[in-house]
Amino acid sequence: MSSRATIYSFLGIGLAATLLLIVAPVVYAISLSFYHMDSFVGTPRWAGLDNYARVLSEWAFWRALGNGFIYSFGTIVLQVVLGIGFALVLNQVFPFRNIVRGLSILPYLLPTVVVVLTFKWMVDGSIGVLTHVIAALGLPPVQWFESPGAAMASVILVSVWMWTPFVTTTFLAALQTVPASLYEAAKVDGTNAVQRFFHITLPMLKPILTVIVLLRAVWMFNKFDVIWLLTQGGPVGATEHLAILSYRTAFSLFDIGGGAAIATISFGILSVAVFIYFRLFPIDTE
Amino acid sequence: MTRPLPARLGLYAAALVIAVYSAFPIYWMVVSSLRAPEAMLTSTSLLPGPFTTEYYWNLLELTDYPAQFLNSVIVAGVTVAVTMVLSVMIAYAVTRQRMPGKRLVIGAMLYAYMFPPLLIAIPMFSVFAKIGLGDTLASVIVSHLTLTLPLGVWFLWGFFKSMPFELEEAAMVDGCTRLGAFLRVVLPLSLPGLITVAIFSFLLSWTDYTFALIMIGSDANKTVPVGLASMIGSFDLRWGEIMAGSTLIALPLFGAFALLSQYFIQGLGAGAVKG
Repeated sequence: MSSRATIYSFLGIGLAATLLLIVAPVVYAISLSFYHMDSFVGTPRWAGLDNYARVLSEWAFWRALGNGFIYSFGTIVLQVVLGIGFALVLNQVFPFRNIVRGLSILPYLLPTVVVVLTFKWMVDGSIGVLTHVIAALGLPPVQWFESPGAAMASVILVSVWMWTPFVTTTFLAALQTVPASLYEAAKVDGTNAVQRFFHITLPMLKPILTVIVLLRAVWMFNKFDVIWLLTQGGPVGATEHLAILSYRTAFSLFDIGGGAAIATISFGILSVAVFIYFRLFPIDTE
Repeated sequence: MTRPLPARLGLYAAALVIAVYSAFPIYWMVVSSLRAPEAMLTSTSLLPGPFTTEYYWNLLELTDYPAQFLNSVIVAGVTVAVTMVLSVMIAYAVTRQRMPGKRLVIGAMLYAYMFPPLLIAIPMFSVFAKIGLGDTLASVIVSHLTLTLPLGVWFLWGFFKSMPFELEEAAMVDGCTRLGAFLRVVLPLSLPGLITVAIFSFLLSWTDYTFALIMIGSDANKTVPVGLASMIGSFDLRWGEIMAGSTLIALPLFGAFALLSQYFIQGLGAGAVKG
């Protein structure tokens, strides 16, 4: 087989897989959003923009959109602040540093199910370890999922615990690329650690920080499993965001066109973020 | 340079806080899975014990857990294998040839990284139901490929870009075909990249809840994350068994991490990431 034939057969297989696994589902999902379908094996009936009109006229949609932004914003800010803080500590020299670095990554490896179940066990109303600790500190018992505000806070808390290691690890790797000479020079000039962080570290790491924030924003906006497992979107929709609304619409209410329309709208919103990403970091094919 | 004592103590305290914050829930999961039932309800001790292995035995003998564990192994195994074969071919072709469609492939892959899961799950579920493959492990595997393939291609693309073309060219001058040069020169040299892709594909597939929840309906075909999650919906909460099940899913991940942590950290730095 000639060199060109080898490469082209590789590429052919690649393009076919891309079309089948990625392009086709998206095209099909978007087209479903223009049809009425009340069973997954039923025949779709043309609906035009009906699904969109119906979805957008519902209060639940706007609440879910707002919740999605609150959830993503809250989790990103906390992850980034905590992740940078952790990275700065882990970049110092102390005994057992490699072990602590290893431990700091573990939450990221765990399946969401494990994290959620362990959290629920720890806050179990009568025998959870956190329940005991809170009681021992003389604080009133916390109702983690009962009120809308508490449920959102719990969901954010668990998500931050799980995904902070991504920020910690990436930022820690990036910290090691800042030349030590810059810090030395700044020390000679009599700056303190805080000034060095804001005037050297942060500006040097701005590009990587932009990537981190953008990627995390997209993923947090897309998260389904952690919220579904913790609250199923409740109480009374307080933690329901677009992914959960789309799931419920398609798989509980069997309004498949409506579910597809919500997924398409989230896709549109995310595409804006992806567009910004491509503008900032063009694909360099050379 | 040594720091003054108070600064050092502050640093050690901060490191301790990070370690406890990150590891305590995991520690607690393992401790609870081994703690005797009567102590479960009454003990407030943070130390392990009194020990029992009964939750593990209950899980293995009285529930679908072993079958579901096997399902997870099959799904993750096939997903990793298919991802590696496809992503190597795609990434290699894209880096080694000037051609139209190249940017499309890479762009689509990066874009696919950011798709809402329901955008993929709704049409896939519908197609699989129509062709009679609803509620099968195959449908879960295909849905996992939509997560792992973009990751594999994106990561290996970066990897192959930095591998000098001269290596294969030299082999081809010496009489190797392109395929021979690829198999004998490129693949062995890209082993670290392949390991990284394998780790992350495994991680994505093994930990996935969303796609398995949507694609699978019957208990017998559930993967462990979905099976375990349905235990919490049942009438009495058997925390011992739930924590034992959680520990068993987490173990392979920790084992892999302990052996392969440098690949994992490099991979994270180079953009191989999971959700």
